[in-house]
Amino acid sequence: MEEKYFICEDSLEGIFTGIYEAYALREEHERIHIQVGEEENLRLFAVYIEIKPDREKAAKVAGTINRRLGEEAYLDICRALASEDGQKGEAVYKMVVCGLRMKDGRRIMGNLADPYVHKVFELARFTRNEVHHWKEFLRFQELENGILFSRIGPKCNVLTFLAPHFADRLPLLDFVIYDEKRGIFAVHPKSKEWYLVTDRDFEEEKIAPYSEGELEYQELFTFFCHKIAIKERKNLKLQRNMLPLRFQEYMVEFGQ
Amino acid sequence: MYYKAAEEMGIKEKLGILTDAAKYDVACTSSGVDRRGNGKGMGNTELGGICHSFSSDGRCISLLKILFTNECIYDCKYCINRKSNDVPRASFTPDEVCELTMGFYKRNYIEGLFLSSGILYNPDFTMELICQTIYKLRKEHGFQGYIHVKAIPGADPVLIQKAGFYADRMSVNLELPTADGLRQLAPNKHRKNILAPMRQIQNGIQANKNELVLYKKAPYFVPAGQSTQMIIGATPENDYQLMMVAESLYQKFELKRVFYSAFVNVNEDKDLPALPGGPPLLREHRLYQADWLLRYYGFQAKELLSEERPNFNILLDPKADWALRHLEVFPIEVNQADYQLLLRIPGIGVKSAQRIVRARKNGALRFEDLKKIGVVLKRALYFITCGGRMMYRTKMEEDYITRNLLSVKEKLPFERDGMTYRQMSLFDDVNFQMPSGKEDCMKAALGQL
Repeated sequence: MEEKYFICEDSLEGIFTGIYEAYALREEHERIHIQVGEEENLRLFAVYIEIKPDREKAAKVAGTINRRLGEEAYLDICRALASEDGQKGEAVYKMVVCGLRMKDGRRIMGNLADPYVHKVFELARFTRNEVHHWKEFLRFQELENGILFSRIGPKCNVLTFLAPHFADRLPLLDFVIYDEKRGIFAVHPKSKEWYLVTDRDFEEEKIAPYSEGELEYQELFTFFCHKIAIKERKNLKLQRNMLPLRFQEYMVEFGQ
Repeated sequence: MYYKAAEEMGIKEKLGILTDAAKYDVACTSSGVDRRGNGKGMGNTELGGICHSFSSDGRCISLLKILFTNECIYDCKYCINRKSNDVPRASFTPDEVCELTMGFYKRNYIEGLFLSSGILYNPDFTMELICQTIYKLRKEHGFQGYIHVKAIPGADPVLIQKAGFYADRMSVNLELPTADGLRQLAPNKHRKNILAPMRQIQNGIQANKNELVLYKKAPYFVPAGQSTQMIIGATPENDYQLMMVAESLYQKFELKRVFYSAFVNVNEDKDLPALPGGPPLLREHRLYQADWLLRYYGFQAKELLSEERPNFNILLDPKADWALRHLEVFPIEVNQADYQLLLRIPGIGVKSAQRIVRARKNGALRFEDLKKIGVVLKRALYFITCGGRMMYRTKMEEDYITRNLLSVKEKLPFERDGMTYRQMSLFDDVNFQMPSGKEDCMKAALGQL
């Protein structure tokens, strides 16, 4: 029998729909594969099937995962799917298969000996760390119109995990977090729910100028960071280990 | 009370002076309390804490760590702010502290405020100012981020109690590990005065827990617990004494954390040791490693050190050192050993031990599974079996394993300079600067003297 490749959209909905269709086929899971986006090297003797994302089918899969594998596994799957890894769809699909075959699917995340579970575990951990780093290192700049604006360049799609953290923290403020690598914005109007906006053609020149006090605060914080260091313990290597250079260009205290 | 700050001084200048004066305080953590925002005001806290930046010494910047004032009536010999020092002095006003905290917090520079202070006029006056500041921050500015304040020894218990209802964490500095050391270097401070507020806060936390059981809406008292810090290397205590002190603080005062601060000589006082090799960083590192063993690994201080062996091994971390002296316990079968025993294996940490316990429910683990789980096999392999077999043929012999462990270079957060590069010459007076003892040999070997 030939191998089947499901080509899915790179989104939770797209990949969950793929899993739904894979089960609907009622064939051996070993011969079905989920792939995210276009394949560059097509395989001989393989069938490629394009899967259109379907909200209802995806919701069913999400429900099943939540019920049978538990919320922890579900959240880890969401995190894994936020990564940029090309194998993420396949790993999640095969992990779900493995979990649904287990007597108690809620134990799935402990089954690290399984290569797919391990893959999802690693991808989820990567996303979790990336989210945590941006909670730490993201900086807001206050604009003339009172909006707090932040530009980030994360290695995976962290906005859906980041926005709730800041919405809880700054409920009475307008803020925008801009993922410049993906052209996505998380927008939080004060006292309202946050939402995502996509604009790939965004130009930074469109941003309003800084508020009156903004530069003074940047200067004060930069000065603070300078003063808090103990020169007898100077250790730039440790600083760089803890705070990788790729974040520094987004942080006011390191100068832009 | 009437209080007037030097108004002619700008905010930046004050921030500079009062940050400079606060930087030797070590506890810049924002952990221990999980609090969601309430939809009003600003701020929340995360259980694990959040670091927001790292300064050029590699230490984390989590809180706006400042002194309220660096004026001080005391003359502690190790302290940069001692009365007899001629340094620029400044004081904030409560409003200035609030404004800085709010302005920094909303830009995500910090997790909150860490407010300490020199003693202005007297302990009560100072504690009152601290209380006023955090009251304003919580009540007038609606701030719900993290607040860590010092309890000033000697201040009225009522003021300390009041501060406890606005702060997340409070700390009283032990300053020096023993009463003797304190008498020598901090003539105005007394051990008794330091332990009294510590006990008061401990009792307050306990009473609050009982209260919260009865009324869910009772206000929280120091919900992130209390901590303390002591200076390492200014006085002659050995590591064993330090660990015994730390252990009793954890057990008798239920502290959340004890922080160790490698002594930085800023004052050139004749009673202070000269440290031309810089602060004793390796020693501080070993103490933190051992502290971790006490808090999370179920070790007791007297298992790690003793009167006969009072200092940590400079070459091995305390856990590996313990394992090598207890080879009779090993090898341990990973598929059967209980959690506490797994924690004793070098190369297995809290997380990997938890994952092992979880993962082996799904079937026996092999060495490659352990690797995936995050076990550091090149350290663990001398101490474990998997399904009754060791990874390689290994001699259960102290010298052999020590040699092998040492060949895997330990990751230290600083350079071990002097150890390999600096040659000692005949004219280095390493032995004449301090009364010599084991400690000195240790430092001499590391080029820290």
